[in-house]
Amino acid sequence: MRYLVRLFSSLRMAIVLLILLAGASVIGTLIPQGLSAAEYAARYGRMGRLIVGLQMNQLYGSVLFLGLLAVFAANIGVCTFTRLSPRLRRVFKPRVETCPESLLSSAAKDRFQKDLSPDASRREVLMALSAHHYRTKELLKDNRIFLLARKKTAGWLGADIVHTGLLVIIAGGLISGLSGFKAELPLREGQIRQVPRAAFEVRLDKFDTELYPDGNVRDWKSTLTILEGGAPVRTKAVEVNHPLSHGGFKFYQSSYGRDWENPVIEMLVKKKSDPSFSRLLVLKVGEKAALDGKEGASVSAKRFIPDFVLDESKNPRTRSSEPNNPAVLAEIREGEDRVSIGWIFARFPEYSRMHGAQESDLSLELKDLNPGHYSVITAAKDPGVNFIWAGSILVMTGLLLAFFWPPREIKVVLEENQGKTRITAGGLSPKSREDFHTEFEKIMTQIRRSK
Amino acid sequence: MTESTLFLAAFVVYILAAVFYLSFQFSKKFRWARAGFALVSAAFVIHSLALVLRTIESGHAPFTNMYESLSFLSWALVLAFVVVDRKFKIPRIGAYLILIVVAFMALASSPLMPKDVAPLVPALQSYWLWLHVSVTLLGEAFFAVAFVTSIMYLAADSRRKKGTASESAFSPETLDFVSYRCVAFGFPLFTLGGLIFGMVWAYEAWGTYWNWDPKEVWSLITWFVFALYLHTRIVMGWKGRRSAVIAIIGFLAALFTYFGVNYLLSGLHSYV
Repeated sequence: MRYLVRLFSSLRMAIVLLILLAGASVIGTLIPQGLSAAEYAARYGRMGRLIVGLQMNQLYGSVLFLGLLAVFAANIGVCTFTRLSPRLRRVFKPRVETCPESLLSSAAKDRFQKDLSPDASRREVLMALSAHHYRTKELLKDNRIFLLARKKTAGWLGADIVHTGLLVIIAGGLISGLSGFKAELPLREGQIRQVPRAAFEVRLDKFDTELYPDGNVRDWKSTLTILEGGAPVRTKAVEVNHPLSHGGFKFYQSSYGRDWENPVIEMLVKKKSDPSFSRLLVLKVGEKAALDGKEGASVSAKRFIPDFVLDESKNPRTRSSEPNNPAVLAEIREGEDRVSIGWIFARFPEYSRMHGAQESDLSLELKDLNPGHYSVITAAKDPGVNFIWAGSILVMTGLLLAFFWPPREIKVVLEENQGKTRITAGGLSPKSREDFHTEFEKIMTQIRRSK
Repeated sequence: MTESTLFLAAFVVYILAAVFYLSFQFSKKFRWARAGFALVSAAFVIHSLALVLRTIESGHAPFTNMYESLSFLSWALVLAFVVVDRKFKIPRIGAYLILIVVAFMALASSPLMPKDVAPLVPALQSYWLWLHVSVTLLGEAFFAVAFVTSIMYLAADSRRKKGTASESAFSPETLDFVSYRCVAFGFPLFTLGGLIFGMVWAYEAWGTYWNWDPKEVWSLITWFVFALYLHTRIVMGWKGRRSAVIAIIGFLAALFTYFGVNYLLSGLHSYV
């Protein structure tokens, strides 16, 4: 056990782990991730099987990589917490008493005699220290005055705060990986969908694509309404970079598509008896358009199939959701009587066939189809994310303390020596030696000169 | 004055500055370095104006394509150089650093880089574009300075070992120290801009703060390398050659994150 603690608290291990993690990460960017086993076999031959076997096809989620991260976290944890308590004591419960002789082995040191009483000298020392913004603790013991003057004390904890932050971030990553959750919700305008694993629904009120004058996309905007028990509770226009937050979920504009289920149909109607007659009808499936009021003739669209094909039993169905062979089942009526019905094709007008009891004077042509757009909203819930932010704040605070807040410490002992005072001072500031030495000397000169 | 004129003017003045710094390098006369610094400062002001004009012209942050981002990176490099030179008084890094700036500016103005002002795609319409990219590139600029001082350290160190060091040469230790300070300055910037702001923005835009996208992974690799630099140095007391080598590897990783990922690997960060 002690061996393990020593191993895990060693810096050598941290270095080996940093190199291994960096190396593994490089491999993950060289081998394309997330392909199928067959694709790896095709690309790398026999190596392909090794890649899949070692989970290098999803390296960052592989047992090896996660194991490495776990060991790294253990290393940081052991390293930080075995060294934390002496460091905390140094910051919060420092020892004021010290042996004057040991001060003389400090990085910065001084010893001199002052022609003042210990108490008067003490005042001078305190004044000099506070002039340089040191905060001082005092102790009177065995006729000696001990002073501990410090500034930027929090700097001692910089590295520990960084490491704690990293652990919080790794914990956050773990939580995200275990309980984070994401679902894509394709939504047509007006459509309502239950949000998976949530007690509310989301409705797409409006979906807009805004364009720049040059035709490039400026923005996709989905106006979403959250419904709780059928009642709207909030509405927001969701854009890329502007998600909607509700009930621990975030809703993102992630994609969009063309809705070929129910496009707007444009049909051209012609009369065989009157070649000059031509009318454009615009309608959707289920709608009826009157041709001219008096005669009472009307055209309606009964069905739409984006990719028309006949199956074995000669029933029409769609082969895909792409508009490869769009067809509309159209019906012509005179008043209440059906005159004819039949499939008309956009790509193959010559195959359009209208069947009816009587020959109709009207002929139909499928001119154009305008699909509506649907919006794809990603609903995401990630309970780990707050850990990531908290950890990030800790890491940054720690880095700033570690690099820009160098702690300084000066210890002074005043001893009475035949009515005069012997002053011994020693100080250290491992991270800003040069500046500290200059300051230390200034302070000592000030104490020496004071009367 | 248009943005491209100002860019070109800054480019020319940088070249002049590089010439002056090179003259200083060989003559060791400080007045050359002083003139070089004056030129760099002038070019920096012109370059800043070019970036401001570009922002006004395009209506968005000046780093949404390779040309803009190279121009901004060069600007950040000059800023880092000015800061480091003022603080540590080592004008002799000027020659190499300004040559790198000139190389980036040349690359930016090459015909390979489309310079048209393009409207912003939806994914980039966020103030995080400003924060994420500018802070990251500034951090990388300090890594670049550490790269230059590390190479100069290695050169100075081997000259010293061979005993061919000239008397007027500065001590290699200064270079080593400046490398460390640049890494110590660039590392928090890179962590904040590249990783943390990147995660925040990714979460706002894609719903996942980390996607293991190649650019993210290479940022993490860069971060690992500089973490290695800091740990070996602060805790294990590594200095000199070994530290210099790690700093050089770190900057090359950062450079690959910036360039290589775009041209060699595909992923979500395919804007720039």
